Amino acid sequence: MNTLLTIDGQEVAIQPGRTVLEAARQIGIDIPTLCHLKECGPLTTCLVCLVKINGKLLPSCATQAAPGMVVESETEEVHEARRTALELLFSDHVGDCLSPCQRLCPLQLNIPEMIRQIESGALEEAVATVRQALPLPAVLGRLCHHPCEQGCRRGAADDSADIRGLERFIADHDLRLPSPHLTPCRAATGKSAAIVGAGPAGLGAAYHLTLQGHSVTVFDRHARAGGSLRAVAEAELPREVLTAEVVQLERLGVEIISNVELGVRVSLDDLRRDYDAVLLAVGERGASEGEKLAVTVSASGIKTDAATAQTSVPGVFATGAAVKPVKQLVRAMTEGRGAAECVHRFLMGEPVRRSGKPFSSVMGKLDAPELKLFLQSASSEKRHVPCDTCAGFSAAEAKGEAARCLHCDCRSAGACAFQHYAQVYEADASRFRAARAPFEQQLQPGGVIYEPGKCILCGICVKLTEQAGEPLGLTFIGRGFNVRIAAPFDHTIEAGLQKIAAECVKACPTGALAMR
Amino acid sequence: MTMPDLDLPFIDETVARIGRGPEALIPILQALQDHFGYLPQEALQRVCEATEITPAALAGVATFYDMFRHKPVGESMVRVCRGTACHVSGATRVEDALRRHLHIPEGDDTDPERKFTVEPVACLGCCTLAPVVKINETTLGHASAEAIPEMMESYQENRRAAAATPSTELPPEPGGAEEEKPAIHVGLGSCCIAKGSDSLFHALRDAVKQASVRVEVKRVGCVGICHRTPMVEVITPGKASTYYADLTAAEAPALVRRHFPTRGIFHRASRLWTRALDTLLLETEPGVERNAMSPRDSEVNAFLGRQVHIATEHFGTVDPLDLDEYLARGGFAALRRVLDELQPEQVIDRIEQSGLRGRGGAGFPSGVKWRIVQQQPGDEKFVVCNGDEGDPGAFMDRMILESFPFRVMEGMAIAAVAAGAHEGIFYIRHEYPLAVKRVRAAIAQLEARGWLGEKLLGLDYKLTLTIMEGAGAFVCGEETALIASIEGKRGMPKLRPPFPAVAGLWGRPTLINNVETLALVPWILRNGAEKFAAIGTAKSKGTKVFALAGHVRRGGLIEVPMGTTLREIVEEIGGGVPDGRTFKAVQIGGPSGGCIPARLADTSVDYESLGGVGAIMGSGGLVVLDNTTCMVDMARYFLQFTQEQSCGKCTFCRVGTRRMLDILERLCAGKAERKHLEELERLAHQVGAGSLCGLGKTAPNPVLTTLRYYRDEYEAHLRGECPAGKCSALITYRVTAECTGCTICAQRCPVDAIPLTPYRRHHINMDLCTRCDTCRKVCPYHAIEVL
Repeated sequence: MNTLLTIDGQEVAIQPGRTVLEAARQIGIDIPTLCHLKECGPLTTCLVCLVKINGKLLPSCATQAAPGMVVESETEEVHEARRTALELLFSDHVGDCLSPCQRLCPLQLNIPEMIRQIESGALEEAVATVRQALPLPAVLGRLCHHPCEQGCRRGAADDSADIRGLERFIADHDLRLPSPHLTPCRAATGKSAAIVGAGPAGLGAAYHLTLQGHSVTVFDRHARAGGSLRAVAEAELPREVLTAEVVQLERLGVEIISNVELGVRVSLDDLRRDYDAVLLAVGERGASEGEKLAVTVSASGIKTDAATAQTSVPGVFATGAAVKPVKQLVRAMTEGRGAAECVHRFLMGEPVRRSGKPFSSVMGKLDAPELKLFLQSASSEKRHVPCDTCAGFSAAEAKGEAARCLHCDCRSAGACAFQHYAQVYEADASRFRAARAPFEQQLQPGGVIYEPGKCILCGICVKLTEQAGEPLGLTFIGRGFNVRIAAPFDHTIEAGLQKIAAECVKACPTGALAMR
Repeated sequence: MTMPDLDLPFIDETVARIGRGPEALIPILQALQDHFGYLPQEALQRVCEATEITPAALAGVATFYDMFRHKPVGESMVRVCRGTACHVSGATRVEDALRRHLHIPEGDDTDPERKFTVEPVACLGCCTLAPVVKINETTLGHASAEAIPEMMESYQENRRAAAATPSTELPPEPGGAEEEKPAIHVGLGSCCIAKGSDSLFHALRDAVKQASVRVEVKRVGCVGICHRTPMVEVITPGKASTYYADLTAAEAPALVRRHFPTRGIFHRASRLWTRALDTLLLETEPGVERNAMSPRDSEVNAFLGRQVHIATEHFGTVDPLDLDEYLARGGFAALRRVLDELQPEQVIDRIEQSGLRGRGGAGFPSGVKWRIVQQQPGDEKFVVCNGDEGDPGAFMDRMILESFPFRVMEGMAIAAVAAGAHEGIFYIRHEYPLAVKRVRAAIAQLEARGWLGEKLLGLDYKLTLTIMEGAGAFVCGEETALIASIEGKRGMPKLRPPFPAVAGLWGRPTLINNVETLALVPWILRNGAEKFAAIGTAKSKGTKVFALAGHVRRGGLIEVPMGTTLREIVEEIGGGVPDGRTFKAVQIGGPSGGCIPARLADTSVDYESLGGVGAIMGSGGLVVLDNTTCMVDMARYFLQFTQEQSCGKCTFCRVGTRRMLDILERLCAGKAERKHLEELERLAHQVGAGSLCGLGKTAPNPVLTTLRYYRDEYEAHLRGECPAGKCSALITYRVTAECTGCTICAQRCPVDAIPLTPYRRHHINMDLCTRCDTCRKVCPYHAIEVL
């Protein structure tokens, strides 16, 4: 007979002997776990799977479902406990999920991934990586003020990597192809949006809304799209490059209608009638335009709710320099993307808000010995300068420059349960600020990489090696806060993983164990 | 590092003697540590080769327990107790002074010449002698940071003499059970021995022999009045006993002459001596019956008056290892009835009717626990006596095991018979060597009579008793961690259920009871459940043994009826706070308990009332705190303890207690802001709610109770002030006009922060000063004040 229990008011019938965690997952409740692996049995170390039963918080992975049990899972109290568990673990987690350069990129381009793809010659993949994040990569590859390079850790050793140069190399490579790469769009939603202004913010928004499956029309009062980009000197941004990127947007599905001045032939009300949402990206003329369109304005531009990009008129959004002055190109595009997220949620009937920043554990500054660890697997060459600056990097030069990257991001980023749940639970990695332990990295000859600072002591690898009968295996060394995982008798981690290294790396819920 | 002369045969012999299975691991490591002084890696590898123990299991266990060392030690081991009573009596300063005196470099524990290794220890359980230092096998009480050179000197001098002192662990003299015989009782518990009662014992025996008088010099267990040890009770038939306190071996002949005179020249010559002895008398009025109330309320009467002795029945009068004496006083009668007359259900009924609750701290009804084990199917069940008394500031279980080993064994045997278990295991801290020795000797005596093994007490029941020594891990007091430890694993708790009563040791039903709980059982069965239930309060029956220590005049081991108030314990039994200071709080329940302020001292000692004020009964540590105690520092002290003792398994305890400690350290350093205080409180609740086992769940209690009762002190620390003048980062010293320029402070300052200015007022260079407090302590004119 099945066991009947209730989780968050929902009745669940489950085979006897199963856990509350299994019962919850059976009805689609995603209770977070880090130390849970079926083969290992309950290890009850991470305690992020807490649920509330009879007024007590209990790890659901080890609590057997009992008849009549009343379980609370998705409540604020339980979530706060889970969040605290995650935050406590992060307070002792030495490592970065995302590299400093990616965190500094307003558009969150996965720079280290792009660089590794260049280095390995996988240029198509590199193009996909770049286009996923950037609306006009060939433009940004020339004009971006590259805040990423300021954060590049290589800069502390000699010079930062030429990230923008590599970005340009990839974008130019793509545009030279007969059919440059198009990022796949989501299935059509049947919703439409009008964007007024084809400058950086408007085009940036158009790109992201199109990727979300919406039908996007951009109106511009000029003959050609580009807005302020049209004013950039030819030497810095050749017209053909800008044109090529605009063509890419059109190929993706963005409709651009030129020579339309809002309020002359088409009114705001027309747009509101014909489209499901309107986004004003009219640039520095925001204040005067806004007044003309009867949208509330402030001294700097059209007035919007900072959190939702909404103007005083329902269904009308505004972004970019139309709202307040934006100095940098990449910031304007980022503003456009942020507004696009708001419009997207508005169109989908979701609560309107910008997406939060992607979660990342942050290690901060490195000391000299730590930097040395990062330098050990990178090329020691000096920063490459393209021999012909106008043409950018050659393929060989790009490879050489890419080899200088220190791989600051975590090898598990994006595939890490710890990072994933931190994002879901909006954990604050810096809630418990404490003196950071030194970053350690053990590069093993067999390809295993062990970074003890990232280990959350879940015990999965210890259990797996024990079950596999590893001759040495891994074990907990020490007690309390200073416990760490190691092979016995000062052997290397690989010596402890002679049989099941791959399984342990796969099962590691963080980036503590990885493969080169 | 190679060790060509590693004693491999010893390792092989040890393995052959102890065993090759996983459960042999901890005893093997203990044997290796005893032999080598530490655990050489080659030796450990050899153990793996010679046994079924895997390298991973071995390395995990060898690094989990405090007692195991992985580096060679100096010639002598100096252990500094960090228990609660020692902490509030200046243990940190003693440790600092010792390290300075022995030239131990920072970050190391051994001096460059490898003569001394200084190691902190969680608690030696000699709390009434705080601060306590143990050098090799010698325990030294009342250590003082100012007198470290003298202490080390006298230790070295006495070392040879001490080595020559014969053991007091001898078989009892035949005929010890006879009542009417002149006798001198010498308390020989660990605390007493630490103060020299072993040499006193032998000196008295020699004196008796020399005087040719028929007097028995008898070893007895703990007398309870631990603050005045060595304690001696002189018994003369027909007369009242006379108590002596603080005696030394040199005074033994005089004492014998005084009470048991022989004719001759010595008698007269000793007059002078005898007069000097009078100052050491506790009982001032000769002829007053020991238990009669004296009109002049004597110290002994005040101390003993409120006490009811059940777990400590016959305290101070019986030889711990005299089986005949135990039998003569009704020992094993209860067990005999259980085997002869009663059904297991009847035994459990009686335990249930008595209202007995677990004395380990949580207070779970013992009868219920026994019944669960009894009802489990199968023949293989275990009984475990939990003697892993790890609370700093507690020594009840040590005293009971040292003084009444047969009683605990009887309780355990009764529990085993009632539950249907045939194996009993004593789990005793290795920090309690005398307790281990006596229990071992007691088991050997029973075995010698054929009363253990196939025929318990010679009757038809099979029961074996063994001892497992802990290896230094507070968390092993938790049932599931204790089981892991017996199984030879790291002492990491598991989620309950399943409870050990259902699936415990080796997955079998296991009844785990605390030492004191078991010590109460024979009395209950001999005197009736009703009689036990008549003592105490509605929900807390019987008595509770407490280790009374800290800032109190009379410290010691006491047993009082449940429902006695804290004030009665502190002020009447303990005689209040000494030295003109005021009673501030009572720390009860150790690191899981809380600080109860003096204004709530009328709280009754029972499980519910103590829980109501935010503390817990705990195992019985009761440390009195006076007005010089900083409550933020107390909270920090306990968090540091639990943090060090956390097994490291679950996130909330491993990291949560660390983050709480971070904030408390900030507070004590005057670097905390309001948001930190708020975070401390929030996190304290979350650690309590989220932790897996009792250690983590109760770890925030010292913080929560001090926040509840002493928030003003936390607030003061936010402003950079320590009202008690304890937190060294927040205080400075000032030399007042009382200074005569005697230069003592300048001479004793360990960091030369006081320039030598004879006959002129001294000044302290606060930049050099380490706030060790030596100057203030040594100043004969009280001319140094804390600001």
